[in-house]
Amino acid sequence: MIMKLQPVQVATGSSDRESRLVFEDGLLVAVLVQLSSEHDSEAGHWFLEAGFGRVDDPHAPIFADLDEAQAWIARQLSETRPVG
Amino acid sequence: MTVASITDTVLSSHSPTPLFDPSNALIRKLEGFNPLSDADRAVLQRISANAHLIGPRVDLVREGDPPDGVILIMEGLACRQKHRANGARQITAYLVPGDACDLDVALLARMDHTITTLSACRVVRIPFDVVRRLMDEHPAIARSLRLGTLVDEATLREWLVNVGCRSAIERIAHLFCELLVRLQVVGCASENSYEFPVTQLDLADTVGLSNVHVNRSLQELRRQGVIELKGRTLTILDRQRLKSIAEFDSKYLHLGSRAAA
Repeated sequence: MIMKLQPVQVATGSSDRESRLVFEDGLLVAVLVQLSSEHDSEAGHWFLEAGFGRVDDPHAPIFADLDEAQAWIARQLSETRPVG
Repeated sequence: MTVASITDTVLSSHSPTPLFDPSNALIRKLEGFNPLSDADRAVLQRISANAHLIGPRVDLVREGDPPDGVILIMEGLACRQKHRANGARQITAYLVPGDACDLDVALLARMDHTITTLSACRVVRIPFDVVRRLMDEHPAIARSLRLGTLVDEATLREWLVNVGCRSAIERIAHLFCELLVRLQVVGCASENSYEFPVTQLDLADTVGLSNVHVNRSLQELRRQGVIELKGRTLTILDRQRLKSIAEFDSKYLHLGSRAAA
């Protein structure tokens, strides 16, 4: 599994813009957005703005850093659960 | 005192002077649906007296429990909620002062949802036989209670539309509009402001959004000068704009001439 992160700005309709597209083996699996100062104690942390396929989870945690986010995404991708 | 004698005392039509408190949320709510006599008001006053103070985040009845009386909220805010095995929660209704759990809950062997206080509440648990006699002997009250049940169902349908068809900001705007109207009816909101003792996480679980999306939507409503949230007080600065964002139409609350907002 090769995971690549591509910096991007996302128009979230808020001041959360700094983002990463997350690719696994060339396929987009997630969009991570860094939380701005509007989120108080969670400012600077990373939010799963969108997850595709196995990474889709409306109750994903907030990640302290990108390493933590990638580890969580990798776990989701490796889980053998039915999709859809 | 036996249950029967409590019932007799509560529902007796030969009671002393029918005193009732004009701020009683149950009377205000039910009277809004249907005219009530002094005797009706006095009965409602007695039924809702001696409410117990319960702290925030206390389960009044849990999913799977046998129902134990009709729960009536006289002050504060409570909710109906469901939990998934993974801990995720959906709040499916808010109970504001004057609201009760289902009247016919006695027909159920087990509760299919949990009722929990969100803030400190004053709560009455009305025994089933008292509810039964109330419905049998006070037709005007019975009619209002049935209308209340229809409004609960209509509200649930509106909430389903909210989570199914509206954007994040629209969902929150809709909830804020609805609560303003419902709380005004029972005298718990001013023209544009009310106590909103709900955490951001509660709100997220109410409108089916992440905490992040709730925070962004609240910030956007603030930025647009539509609302102000100071502590636990929500002030709606631009009611027309909030209604327009939510496409809010209070018809489903069946308030008739009381629909001020």
